[in-house]
Amino acid sequence: MTSPDLSPRPVEPVVGRRRRRVLPSLVLVAAILAGGVVVTRFLTSAVDYYCNVDEVGLREGCDRDRRLRLQGTVTEGSVETDGLTTSFDIEFDDVTIGVDYDGEPGGIFKECIPVVVHGYFDSSNDRFMGDRVEVKHSDEYVSVNDARLTEARESACQPSA
Amino acid sequence: MTPTTSPQPTARRATGTRATRVLGIVTLVMLGWLLLFGLVLSPADIDQGDAVRIMYVHVPTVWLAYLAFIVTAVCSGLYLFGRRHSLGFDRVAGASAEIGVVFMALTLISGSLWGRITWGVYWQWDARLTTTALLFVTYIGYLAVRGLEGTRERRARRSAVIGLLAVVEIPLVHWSVRLWRSLHQEATILDTDLDVDIDGLMLFTLFSGVVAFTLLFVWLLLHRTRTIALDDLLASRGLDRAIAERRSEVTSSGSIGGGS
Repeated sequence: MTSPDLSPRPVEPVVGRRRRRVLPSLVLVAAILAGGVVVTRFLTSAVDYYCNVDEVGLREGCDRDRRLRLQGTVTEGSVETDGLTTSFDIEFDDVTIGVDYDGEPGGIFKECIPVVVHGYFDSSNDRFMGDRVEVKHSDEYVSVNDARLTEARESACQPSA
Repeated sequence: MTPTTSPQPTARRATGTRATRVLGIVTLVMLGWLLLFGLVLSPADIDQGDAVRIMYVHVPTVWLAYLAFIVTAVCSGLYLFGRRHSLGFDRVAGASAEIGVVFMALTLISGSLWGRITWGVYWQWDARLTTTALLFVTYIGYLAVRGLEGTRERRARRSAVIGLLAVVEIPLVHWSVRLWRSLHQEATILDTDLDVDIDGLMLFTLFSGVVAFTLLFVWLLLHRTRTIALDDLLASRGLDRAIAERRSEVTSSGSIGGGS
């Protein structure tokens, strides 16, 4: 008996089939590039996201003459606004720094809440000029109806050390 | 190809069974339950207000993504180190990774919305968000590798190795808020200090979300795995058809030759 002819047969090129063949390679290249960018560009700064207020001028990378991300708790009674600029103090471990921010901070910004302020020190008045404020809320979730509400509010303004 | 690696033709071609239909109904009920508690019965948060309700989607989706990637790793290991190298494990691994990527995308979207309301920004390259983005990209790469050219076994072997390596990123993502300074808050429940700082009804709603999304994962995994198996069956049928065509060529040429 004659053996069957197993040589590949000419197939009409199908655009969809070719695309299906190429697409995974393109996605893989894009994923490798994106992963590389994330690791080299962002992961380095991500692992050291902010300096605490008490580390300014003391810790490596927290020098006063460079752009910083400063973390501290908004001091109770310190928030003032003139419609254009919001001024407030942030504190950490008994060290306080005054902040001026152009505009109104977003998120759930309020007194007694931890924030990260992006900006730089103004050498003329020693205040921190913020251009971005991020609220760093805690891992605690308390109901507004909770009987411990008063207790929670009272303890809310204890700056973390 | 060994008989154990190829899906057997069956009378049924649908992906659903009586059991999956029951599971689907239970999942729908649980999702309705989650909606009721998440949007109506659970209280607002003292700081975040109603924005806290995003947590009931955000946390279950990330849990589901982690679970999916762990299932992918386990099945990858079973495929690679199992005696039979059964493609059934590879199908479960692939299906699970697909579901994980979809839910990781939902985690990133819900997290961005939550971040905009609470932090004041949609996105920030802090430790948690950066490592999560890396995990997401890694599994997109995993799915791309699954789609590359090669035999079914070769593709399965390649992706199994990546599935086993990629899962190592999960502890890194989870502990990133502890290892490094992050804008993202630390874990409330899965934390080492075992101090769960969350209102009782909020915790119950969150638990309901985790259960509902886990059921959804099982339902999706069963259906997607069976869909992949049917795809493989279709491909093997194409091969069978080609072989049959070649045989019929031989037969017909033989009969023509015999007749001349």
